[in-house]
Amino acid sequence: MIKFSNVSLVYPTSTKTVLEGLTFSIEEGEMVLVIGSTGTGKSSLLRLINGLVPHHTGGILAGDVIVDGISTQLVRPGELAHLIGIVGQNPSTGFVTDTVEEELVFGMESLNVAPDVMRKRVEEILDLLALAPLRNRAISTLSGGEQQRLAIGSALVMHPKILVLDEPTSALDPIAAEEVLSIIHRLVHDLSLTVIIAEHRLERVIGFADRIIHISGDGQTVIDVPENILRKSDIAPPIVHLARALELDQVGLNVRDVRRMTEAVRKEGNDLPKIVKKSTPTTISISGVGISYGAHIALKEVSTTVFEGEIVALMGRNGAGKSSLLQSIVGLQELNHGAVTIFDMDPKNLKGKERRTTVGYIPQEPGDLLYAQSVAQECAQADKDNQISSGETFNLLKTLVPSISEKTHPRDLSEGQRLALALAVVLSAKPRALILDEPTRGLDYQSKSLLIQILKDFANQQGKSVIIATHDVELVAELADRVIFLSEGEIVADGPTLDILLASPAFAPQVSKVMSPRRWLTVKDVLDGFEKNVDK
Amino acid sequence: MKSLHPLTWWLWSIAIIVTVIRVDSAVYSCLVIVVAAILVSRLAGDFPWSKSFWFSLRLGLFILIIRAITGVLIGVPIPGNKIAEVPILPLPSWMAGIRIGGVITQERLMASLHEGLVIASVIALFGAAVSLTSPHKMLRVLPVMIYEFGIALVIATSSLPQLVASYSRIKRARILRGDERPKFRTIALPLLEEALSKSLDLAAAMDSRGYGVMRSRSRYRPIPWRLTDSTIFAGGLIWLATIWTVTS
Repeated sequence: MIKFSNVSLVYPTSTKTVLEGLTFSIEEGEMVLVIGSTGTGKSSLLRLINGLVPHHTGGILAGDVIVDGISTQLVRPGELAHLIGIVGQNPSTGFVTDTVEEELVFGMESLNVAPDVMRKRVEEILDLLALAPLRNRAISTLSGGEQQRLAIGSALVMHPKILVLDEPTSALDPIAAEEVLSIIHRLVHDLSLTVIIAEHRLERVIGFADRIIHISGDGQTVIDVPENILRKSDIAPPIVHLARALELDQVGLNVRDVRRMTEAVRKEGNDLPKIVKKSTPTTISISGVGISYGAHIALKEVSTTVFEGEIVALMGRNGAGKSSLLQSIVGLQELNHGAVTIFDMDPKNLKGKERRTTVGYIPQEPGDLLYAQSVAQECAQADKDNQISSGETFNLLKTLVPSISEKTHPRDLSEGQRLALALAVVLSAKPRALILDEPTRGLDYQSKSLLIQILKDFANQQGKSVIIATHDVELVAELADRVIFLSEGEIVADGPTLDILLASPAFAPQVSKVMSPRRWLTVKDVLDGFEKNVDK
Repeated sequence: MKSLHPLTWWLWSIAIIVTVIRVDSAVYSCLVIVVAAILVSRLAGDFPWSKSFWFSLRLGLFILIIRAITGVLIGVPIPGNKIAEVPILPLPSWMAGIRIGGVITQERLMASLHEGLVIASVIALFGAAVSLTSPHKMLRVLPVMIYEFGIALVIATSSLPQLVASYSRIKRARILRGDERPKFRTIALPLLEEALSKSLDLAAAMDSRGYGVMRSRSRYRPIPWRLTDSTIFAGGLIWLATIWTVTS
């Protein structure tokens, strides 16, 4: 179906080859997963398939990409539209029309499909993706999960033979992600659709993949079945790490397999000791906060308290009010009623230096905080703002990401590096509280464990607190002390991470699913349970 | 109300624009702007493009002011009531006939204001047509021949509201960095970068979905020309005919 022969790619403004000597072929009805660290060229590989690279981006392509017998060098991407459906990383930037129905038919209208055929296909897709109740809605009013389904729908409605998805679940909560992936899985089996999917959160997709293309940093690629790739790869989901840690003979790819392999393990080991929390002073207090946007109520009567030394994770489905709550804590949001205090101050009245030293905020797009022309200038600005000795921010950054070059433009950094730079700038002011809104979108495992380390170190200092909003259950399991669960603007659960995550299967991390009913969340928890055993 | 044909308001606007130029009167131009404003505030929905009319009004006002200033200061003097006098700028002899400065008369000011108003009302009528028509629907009735124009149209109409949203997002982030009054330059640069990359994404999306591949497009739902469309268009035409006969 898809055949890459000796493909190498160089972008016009760079001297480094993105991909080198890539040769593989993908059969009809296969589901292939593309993995690799950020910036290794996963997106380029996907966009090579329908010729967006190099037709749209420029660059030199050596070798040949042949899709269903057509060489992508010779035709424009549009001429492959009937064959390949492609869904980008951020579906909202790819919508062309105003309403769901119009968006679904856009591609077919362009290809001059007869109206009666279109009508039939639209009904099919509306049913298949459960979009029927949304058919006349304006696209701008859809939630993240609905937009993702629509983007997949408008690709599928063309009856393509190949579906290409670039991080389809990065913006979705675990339940919405599950919905989207199971639909795709069904299509692969029912219609023998060929699917190529790039994803960082392997725990979500690994169970569905037939083969994996692993791109390493130097442009080299390996393609093989998941078991072989994951045996050695440093990019691996938690259950693979679990299998390695327990020294099992095989790596299992889904919860069911690993559960079978670890039956004995579950009978032994100790539960984690109950953490008795010392009472510490209050840092952030939220009382009776309500926020509404026009007729839409984002938060109703939310009250909670955050204490010193805590890392609190804010979870909930897309549109549950997480961002609104974070913004009210940093004083960006007009409250309809209620009050927020942070270190006994009203966050709205914080100005300049006092604000920087009280609360640091990392927005969903960390790049928003950055405006200088290079990493060095950005760090120098932070030094000047905070009246600290020159070079201190850059040194901090160096400890976070040693490989960073000070001449790089912030725009050219990888997602992980940009987050680290924003963190360094914010941390250089030595804030007493740190607020992060969805920091792990597009982050690979390596960057994520780095982030966990930074945040843990931060919270361990005297008198600090961290609040983090995220969909990433694995991150929460490793990082947070406490989880607050929001649903439709109300707190539905608030308690220690262990209790909250184990309470609902949809939000449970992989290791806990394998180890249930034992109360272990991470690989480290399991190992801790056994070390105690050995000691006795 | 059922949605109108995307060309209806454009045709109506063009008819009225012809009358504005034909009548060439400041009072009539003001009247037309008021009518357009009432129509837009009544009929335009809450879409990103609906605000274009108010933007076009501001543009018109800007042009009016510029026209008044240049009209008063530069050009041939019109005799009449003197309001003020500014010194005449000496110009080289080969620029005979052009004068900068001099006596400002009431007549001269009125003449330039009048011209400015006519231009402003024409712009306002264009703005009204844009406000009342979905550009995406417009795209569907335009022939594929003007393919590049279609892509530009979609990008322009979808990036403007995105630009506004990104601006407030970045500004808020800056305030959190303790930067109360961020300089325009430091926001404009990342903003433009973002707008550009989003536009490229959109163009890539349209391309990979086959836009412009076929010479003819099919229509999922026909875009009908209804009685209301005919009424509005006929109204414009009748008004045009009336004005034409009255002024000739």
